[in-house]
Amino acid sequence: MKFSLKGAVAGLLLGTMLGSGGAWADGGTLRIAMTAADVPTTTGMPNNGFEGMRFLGYTVFEPLIDWDLSDPSKPADLRPGLAESWEVDPADQTRWTFHLRKGVKFHDGSDFNADAVIWNLDRFFDDKSPQFDANGSAITRGRNPLMKSWKKIDDYTVEIDTKYPASYFPYIICYTLIASPAAFAAAGNDWAKFAQAPAGTGPFRITKVTPRVSVELARNDAYWNPARVPKLDKVVLLPMPEATTRLAALRSGQVDWIEVPPPDAIPSLKSAGFNVVTGVYPHDWPWEWDVSEGSPFHDVRVRQAANYAIDRDGLVQMLNGTAIPAKGWYTPDHPLFGHPKNDYTYDPDKARALLKEAGYGPDHPLKAKILTSTSGSGQMQPVQMNEFIQQNLAEVGIDIDLETTEWGTLLVALRNAPGSAPTMGANAINVSFATSDPSWLAKFFHSKNKAPVSSNWGQYSNPEVDAVLDKMELEFDPARRDAYARQVNELITDDAAWLYVVHDMNPRAMTKKVKGFRPAQSWFQDLTSVSME
Amino acid sequence: MNRSVKDTASEFPAVAGRLNAVPSQSPGYWTLVRKRLMRDPVTLIAAAVLVLIVLSAIFAPLLAPYDPFMGKITQRMKPVGFAGHLLGTDETGRDMLSRLLYGGRLSLTSGIVPVAIALAVGGFLGISAGFFGGPVNSVIMRVTDIFYAFPSILLAIAICGMLGTGLFNTLVSLTLVFIPPIIRISESVTTQVRSLDFVEAARASGARPFALMRYQVLPNVLAPILVYATSLVSLAIILAAGLSFLGLGVSAPAAEWGLMLNSLRQMIYIDPLLAALPGVLIFLTSMCFNLISDGLRSAMDVRLKL
Amino acid sequence: MLSFTIRRLLQAIPILLGVSILVFLMVQMIPGNALDLMLPSDAPKDLIEKMKAEYGFDKPLWQQYLRWLWMLLHGDLGVSIFDSTPVAATLFDALGNTFVLAIPAAVLGFGLGIFFGVTAALNNGKAADKALSMVSITGVSLPHYWFAIVLVVIFSVELNWLPAQGMQFDTLPSTVEGLKSMVLPVITLSLIPMGVVSRVVRAAVLEVMSQEFVNTLNAKGLWSRSVLGHILKNAAPATLAVMGLQFGYLLGGSILVETVFNWPGSGNLLNLAIFRRDIPVMQGTILVLAAFFVLLNLVVDVAQALIDPRIRR
Repeated sequence: MKFSLKGAVAGLLLGTMLGSGGAWADGGTLRIAMTAADVPTTTGMPNNGFEGMRFLGYTVFEPLIDWDLSDPSKPADLRPGLAESWEVDPADQTRWTFHLRKGVKFHDGSDFNADAVIWNLDRFFDDKSPQFDANGSAITRGRNPLMKSWKKIDDYTVEIDTKYPASYFPYIICYTLIASPAAFAAAGNDWAKFAQAPAGTGPFRITKVTPRVSVELARNDAYWNPARVPKLDKVVLLPMPEATTRLAALRSGQVDWIEVPPPDAIPSLKSAGFNVVTGVYPHDWPWEWDVSEGSPFHDVRVRQAANYAIDRDGLVQMLNGTAIPAKGWYTPDHPLFGHPKNDYTYDPDKARALLKEAGYGPDHPLKAKILTSTSGSGQMQPVQMNEFIQQNLAEVGIDIDLETTEWGTLLVALRNAPGSAPTMGANAINVSFATSDPSWLAKFFHSKNKAPVSSNWGQYSNPEVDAVLDKMELEFDPARRDAYARQVNELITDDAAWLYVVHDMNPRAMTKKVKGFRPAQSWFQDLTSVSME
Repeated sequence: MNRSVKDTASEFPAVAGRLNAVPSQSPGYWTLVRKRLMRDPVTLIAAAVLVLIVLSAIFAPLLAPYDPFMGKITQRMKPVGFAGHLLGTDETGRDMLSRLLYGGRLSLTSGIVPVAIALAVGGFLGISAGFFGGPVNSVIMRVTDIFYAFPSILLAIAICGMLGTGLFNTLVSLTLVFIPPIIRISESVTTQVRSLDFVEAARASGARPFALMRYQVLPNVLAPILVYATSLVSLAIILAAGLSFLGLGVSAPAAEWGLMLNSLRQMIYIDPLLAALPGVLIFLTSMCFNLISDGLRSAMDVRLKL
Repeated sequence: MLSFTIRRLLQAIPILLGVSILVFLMVQMIPGNALDLMLPSDAPKDLIEKMKAEYGFDKPLWQQYLRWLWMLLHGDLGVSIFDSTPVAATLFDALGNTFVLAIPAAVLGFGLGIFFGVTAALNNGKAADKALSMVSITGVSLPHYWFAIVLVVIFSVELNWLPAQGMQFDTLPSTVEGLKSMVLPVITLSLIPMGVVSRVVRAAVLEVMSQEFVNTLNAKGLWSRSVLGHILKNAAPATLAVMGLQFGYLLGGSILVETVFNWPGSGNLLNLAIFRRDIPVMQGTILVLAAFFVLLNLVVDVAQALIDPRIRR
């Protein structure tokens, strides 16, 4: 490897300068290859889904209520962010009051206060505000459809009214990030220009944006929480959608960390001296099947049979341990998993028996069509995994016609009710989901949310589930709310509302130089504890 | 409209220089062509290899030792030469040999079918444009110009992105891509033939347009158009595989070489030989078509009679 | 000459108009749009409708087309649905990155192609001819996107000589690292033009050589540099035509190579736009690439006419 002289000299100079700075100079630079096809937007409302939020959301910008990513041993929950505390008005359960943190400064030096919060809420939820950001608004509103009104009470108190009482509002407001109004003004009131020189309050600040190539972050030394001032000097984020490319970049030393190495490459990465880090996080990789009248999956016995027919351990083995078997909506060891009656182990005989009971057998095989994508966010190895399931189901007499399409088309199918043209005649769709908090249960399983209205693609309808979900929405006591969520998981597990397959373990491969990374049980990760050797 | 040299050259690889339209019905012409071909070992070998590939694809159900769509997950990613699996197994434990044999069916189909359809449609339109000239020519050629404004792969990708994945859509998109160049070649060759002395003479002697087309023009233009089309087959195979590679072509679990190349791509660090197999077959087949096209061209080119 | 150029320019206008209609219609037929990917499936319907209105998707097709055309005439390609950036700026940035690869690839491919083609023709039928023909036929028969991966495995991962992916500079390479990041993509891209050009040049040179006056000159022992010059001049129009088309192919066809090397060029942009259903980006990218191709054909026509006056009418 040759070095350029200029680079070496610059490096020396920089080293001397930093060296004189003392303790904060030893963090180093971490280069991460993301799976995104593009640099997520840097305006404080990243696109590219939760990966965008992971790397260019919570690292640089902060919400009022944030994720607590510090304890890898349990599912990540919420903690105070830019709001030190919050409460719902017991008399009017649509009214939330947020008490803001004092002494916080944006990266551009301006102050964080109630005006900044109101300004940001206007940015996303008021079409007529001068700072309205159509694109960021679309993403934010998609995640937060509850906002009705908001106002400043004093410099450090903000009040938000929701459209209807919703106990899980904190799990929704946590996706609304706060950017600096002063930096927007400095960028000529233009979000595209702001994206080049953005300012948030987070532990990292953005120093360089090269569209479609990279983003560079530097440590925010003035971060309000001294415990979370990053150890790293710099983070470079590179979009690399092709798994093979990421692998080549890691192996040739171009990056230090790659997201989602192909499972088959993991043994060879390990033997080549790389660390492979995995961790459970709220992720489901299911088949959402059409359970309405006339569908082959209308009969609960068929749905249970399929759930018993899958060799999940074999599948996990094929994925080189980058997943855990799914037996319900939550991971089996999750505090909200509960105690369903059905434990979906690999039991082909039971599956055959159930199918026989439902009237299917060798002379009358069950046929169904499954739609999946060739790739896509959280889809893991969709084609290979579905082919595996296809083999499993064939053994018990379920004949699966597998159709693959690309990610965009699959998402369009998901927006349309089964039987409509965009769903291509599929009886089930294989799409993976985040299961971060209880509010998501209602989206998928409440009968009022049947597609095309909302995310209940399979038209699942169970009065018992609906009733519990309704009670959960109005239960503001976290412990009792959790009890309802547990009850829902038990019900939808026994009713086999989905084909539960696996939960992803989100593999990451990194060089041995990367130290101090503690994978949180979350879609989001904390880079502040990481350092480079 | 008299087409310039430019129009007979093309972005499409194998069209080298201009295609000459010359009387090819002279007695013994085809005998001569056959004779020349028999003396051309490269073309003969290419043809033999291609015949082997085509036959093995046709008889895949008889030759394949396993079901190409059903594998045993416990038997996945076995190396080339593994007992029971001559060429190993793929990422879901399906027999590679069986999949490669079956894969030839789709890959050859996506190479030959679009070119054949484009040849029929494009040839008809192009020859008509060249034969009738005037407004017919203008309408056909101006519309062709619009399609011709897109580099082939760009058009194929755009159309596939629009229609969605799947074999049928791949065939449609490739057919649409190949129609314009075939129209251009056909029109150009026909225009040249039409102005040749013997055709002029026939016309002067009062031959009816249909007869003129049937007996004077067609026999003289078909050979060069056909030669050109064979060279497109190679491009079609590579483009089809490229579409699958981008995730826009034939979709899983079908057996197709481009798709296999794509799904085995991640194995390149684990079992390079296995990952390379579909690529080698694409290369080999495409090479055969190119060599045959070259051989035909030089065998049919009457200029060599000097 | 001037009238020829003007006539060709005028002919390009209806073609460009036709191209714009075709691009517009093609893109409209893609199922769904970026909003479907961007918004979660439970996004309120009124939000979706509002976003559609924002981008004019609620209007009848012909109105959308006219609006787009009107913007085009003002040099405005619209705004990306996915990240709200102006398409024109992103696209020209990406095109620049594509040119950085396409130009050296063209120089390398055309240079080798002409050299191989002339050498093969001058040694017609001999071993050198056969060998070079095999090289050029290999160039056009290789699935180059696959070959690119093989190159990465060998030169980046195994030997660690060259970077595996990415553009290691901002606009133009100024460092050794920058230049190194260009090597593999340029080699991969130059394969097809090398193969095609060498075959065309060989055929064109052979044809000129078969003409009687060359034979006469040859017979008189007048075989000299001037004869070679004459041959090359006569083979030039066909060569030029194919080089023009190949350059267009390098721009439009770079999509596969850019995908493998994660190169932020126009092909990569288009691929991304297709997968994201980002309609303004798709329309803009396809249109500009096609317009460039039309323009390139025009330049080639004029250049041919300059070399060979017979082509002018």
